[in-house]
Amino acid sequence: MSMSPSILSVLSEDLLVRVYEFLDPPCRKTWRLISKDFLRVDSLSRTTIRILRVEFLPTLLFKYPNLSSLDLSVCPKLDDNVVLRLALDGTVSTLGIKSLNLSRSTAVRARGLETLARMCHALERVDVSHCWGFGDREAAALSSAAGLRELKMDKCLSLSDVGLARIVVGCSNLNKISLKWCMEISDLGIDLLCKICKGLKSLDVSYLKITNDSIRSIALLPKLEVLDMVSCSLIDDAGLQFLENGSPSLQEVDVTRCERVSLSGLISIVRGHPDIQLLKASHCVSEVSGSFLQYIKALKHLKTIWIDGAHVSDSSLVTLSSSCRSLMEIGLSRCVDVTDIGMMGLARNCLNLKTLNLACCGFVTDVAISAVAHSCPNLETLKLESCHLITEKGLQSLGCYSKLLQELDLTDCYGVNDRGLEYISKCSNLQRLKLGLCTNISDKGIFHIGSKCSKLLELDLYRCACFGDDGLAALSRGCKSLNRLILSYCCELTDTGVEQIRQLDHLSHLELRGLKNITGVGLAAIACGCKKLGYLDLKLCENIDDSGFWALAYFSKNLRQINLCNCSVSDTALCMLMSNLSRVQDVDLVHLSRVTVEGFEFALRACCNRLKKLKLLAPLRFLLSSELLETLHARGCRIRWD
Amino acid sequence: METEDDLCNNNWGSSSSKSREPGSSDGGNQTFTGFTSQQKWEDASILDYEMGVEPSVQVFDEMKASGQANVDFLQGVRAQAWDPRTMLSNLSFMEQKIHQLQDLVHLLVGRGGQLQGRLDELAAQQQQQLITTDLTSIIIQLISTAGSLLPSVKHNMSTAPGPYTGQPGSAVFPYAREANNVASQSQNNNNCGAQEFDLPKPVVVDERESHVVEEHEMKDEDDVEEGENLPPGSYEILQLEKEEILAPHTHFCTICGKGFKRDANLRMHMRGHGDEYKTAAALAKPNKESVPGSEPMLIKRYSCPFLGCKRNKEHKKFQPLKTILCVKNHYKRTHCDKSFTCSRCHTKKFSVIADLKTHEKHCGKNKWLCSCGTTFSRKDKLFGHIALFQGHTPAIPLEEMKPSASTSAQRGSSEGGNNNNQGMVGFNLGSASIANQETAQPGMTDGKISFEEPFSPMNFDTCNFGGFHEFPRLMFDDSESSFQMLIANACGFSPRNVGESVSDTSL
Repeated sequence: MSMSPSILSVLSEDLLVRVYEFLDPPCRKTWRLISKDFLRVDSLSRTTIRILRVEFLPTLLFKYPNLSSLDLSVCPKLDDNVVLRLALDGTVSTLGIKSLNLSRSTAVRARGLETLARMCHALERVDVSHCWGFGDREAAALSSAAGLRELKMDKCLSLSDVGLARIVVGCSNLNKISLKWCMEISDLGIDLLCKICKGLKSLDVSYLKITNDSIRSIALLPKLEVLDMVSCSLIDDAGLQFLENGSPSLQEVDVTRCERVSLSGLISIVRGHPDIQLLKASHCVSEVSGSFLQYIKALKHLKTIWIDGAHVSDSSLVTLSSSCRSLMEIGLSRCVDVTDIGMMGLARNCLNLKTLNLACCGFVTDVAISAVAHSCPNLETLKLESCHLITEKGLQSLGCYSKLLQELDLTDCYGVNDRGLEYISKCSNLQRLKLGLCTNISDKGIFHIGSKCSKLLELDLYRCACFGDDGLAALSRGCKSLNRLILSYCCELTDTGVEQIRQLDHLSHLELRGLKNITGVGLAAIACGCKKLGYLDLKLCENIDDSGFWALAYFSKNLRQINLCNCSVSDTALCMLMSNLSRVQDVDLVHLSRVTVEGFEFALRACCNRLKKLKLLAPLRFLLSSELLETLHARGCRIRWD
Repeated sequence: METEDDLCNNNWGSSSSKSREPGSSDGGNQTFTGFTSQQKWEDASILDYEMGVEPSVQVFDEMKASGQANVDFLQGVRAQAWDPRTMLSNLSFMEQKIHQLQDLVHLLVGRGGQLQGRLDELAAQQQQQLITTDLTSIIIQLISTAGSLLPSVKHNMSTAPGPYTGQPGSAVFPYAREANNVASQSQNNNNCGAQEFDLPKPVVVDERESHVVEEHEMKDEDDVEEGENLPPGSYEILQLEKEEILAPHTHFCTICGKGFKRDANLRMHMRGHGDEYKTAAALAKPNKESVPGSEPMLIKRYSCPFLGCKRNKEHKKFQPLKTILCVKNHYKRTHCDKSFTCSRCHTKKFSVIADLKTHEKHCGKNKWLCSCGTTFSRKDKLFGHIALFQGHTPAIPLEEMKPSASTSAQRGSSEGGNNNNQGMVGFNLGSASIANQETAQPGMTDGKISFEEPFSPMNFDTCNFGGFHEFPRLMFDDSESSFQMLIANACGFSPRNVGESVSDTSL
């Protein structure tokens, strides 16, 4: 693209910035390649960045002075030194960072966090979820960031009440905190949190071993809007009663899989909060009774309800939908009592429906789907997993009416055939399509998808054994934006088809499990073409030889996760892979018949500083050097011994 | 709780209440050796026990007669120690002794030259023994004379515990008192008048010091008996000096000078000095009866020697201390440095060792610590406290500090940077194997891998694994591995730029 200087002189920088703001990320990439001025606009306007390699951090921070959001979650080798460098960098962008994502880091410790918290005064949002080794000390360090508003600490397993108390006291202005899977947190911590952080609006206490006492404390939060308590097995209806009269602003409650919660507990929530918008009660209520429906009638603003796994009769469904007309999302998976009658009533009443989950509702037929497609033009997500009665007729209605459909899950719907896919392909906005275990589809059907669904981002063809190379070629030609492709156990595929995948520039997730016909040639082609590949599953691809792995080692620089189980990779190739894939973090290396113990040792030593997860055969535990295992452990790598 | 301190107190109490009437002794020329073999602490009142052996030395009989049962012989001797005249007589005595010995040895030498063959073994042994005994006595005499000088530096030494070997000849007397004991035992034959001395001594305030010797059976008493209301004058007030309060030992071996906290321990120790200490009488617990025919005892209370202290008798609102133990504990707790630190928390300090032991029993149980320093035995109490006081946070104890992974990782990488580090498996590849052999550590060469075969499956001509001698070093290295170059050469791929550094997906 050539740009004459005269146009540039007309477009002042602020105008360029305004134009730039309308662009979506892929276009921005093109934008910054146009000219130096455009690049300047890009570097000045960019506010968010996700760094893939720590090595580039200083340069990028320097390039983008106006960053406010920094995501380091996918960087390997993220440790204290990086964080310290970040904190002491002193560039404008560091000091202005408001949002920082450090999740899944394995070596960030109190020292780095404390410096960071002290230096970056603007810090408002921090995500330390799944950080290995994030404990009380790290929490104490982080509590120096007094301006913190949002904090995500999911699965910080060594975080206890003491650490939480430090955070709570240090950052008392918290709006949002997520403590999911922080298994050490008890009632005392939650109680203190609720006593001090009065401004809390969103709280996630899922999977914690907290009791009704915590709910009593939570109910005292005056501004609480969102409360997630998935699978809190110690909480019962008596606890939920505290919520009836507390937390006046509550709008969203998630009590999914709370074993002891029954309908009466839900009723007390509903009774106290007529303005509630979201209610997720999957797999905890066994039945939707008349008394519950009576209360739910009052919920004029309810937008989302999930009652997966409950016995919902058709009449209940009709009553529910007739009272909550603003419903946009309904989760009815495993509600085995739901039939076409109920669904037709629902479709009639909820015209704004956007998301419908009917997974495992075995009695739902094409009639129901047609009714939904007819009445709900806004439908975006439809999940029909294991609805065996669905045939091409239902899909025809979807293709005709649901033009906004973005996500369709037809996993295990063996009524779906090539004709059905042809109908579906008319949904031109489709982004995610799951056709796993649909054994009746062939190249013909896939060809329709490939030719029409150009916006497709995700395609799952797990065990679609009847489609072959031609179909894949059509997909590769048509769905250029695909970034997630699952071809596991599509046994017909050979190198010829797989080679076509290289056309998918944006592919980042590829599963080729059990493709016995592909060889090193196919893999080499993929590796050459798909440069963004981050996830690759090659389990049971027994015929790939070393040339493929060498190519992979050379080209797939962005590979983060790789499954090589049962591959015939040699010592050399494995060593090359592990040492050359500089972003690799998660490796499955089970049943590698050609790799010796020394080969494992060698390969793991080459990548031990970046591994986060590793799967190995159990006997190797005693064969690998203890020094290697210690280094892996010290680096926060979790090893699963198979 | 009966601790050793109690017993110390006990004995101090009895010895401290002695009169300071100096012991009178004759100026006989009894030899030192003879004395040491016979001399016994016969006076029960002095060290609170009966040795059960009657004194055979005249001086003690005299003392007993003149100074009653409770003559503080020890103090008397101590008084002498400061007298220059005594010193002089001591020195001349020693001089005389040395001359005697010299003569004897001369004689021996002369005889040995002439009569060498005729002397039988026994006679030689006897003579040798005689000389040895004499020499020993001279040495002890010298030590005791020197020891008498020690009180002048006792302020420095009495508090500082020093190594004490307890050997008779080792001349190490860290405690002035011990030195004095020895001095007294060797010098009691020098008669001296009572001298004023500023040795550590009990100052008995009451007039009737001649009656006060009795057994204080120490109970487990605390020194905070505030509620006691004894009318002034209904009790006698005793005041120990600081040095006596702080002295570590109260019982001393008369032979070697070793100190003990318990009388019983001393008696056990004495057995080693000869059979005469092994008799039942010698080993028996000294009788507790006090002076026969004493009048009804007056209650004793104690005063703290620290001026201005409420427990000092000069204080307006004087509150006496009940027992010696109370005195000791009070003085240590209130007027001494807290030198015992808890080995667990490293923060709490104590001056009384028993307090430390008590603390250590509970230390760590109050593991819930607030940033303000308050500890709680229960977590909920701490959290309640934190909720109540703004800005208080739970403190994270140091013990929980795990060795941070980053440091160990750094260790790992630094190891990696070192070529001949033990952390490296000796990967000996091809031609590099010889070069690398000596750099690999002994234990690790077992893991040596021969990669010649597996590394040439594709038969790379250009692939020279000789470059792998760098390999062990790079094993833990962060940088782009040496493999990259290697592949470029091997596979004929042209070098290309590294993949996307920034993903465009926004958060």
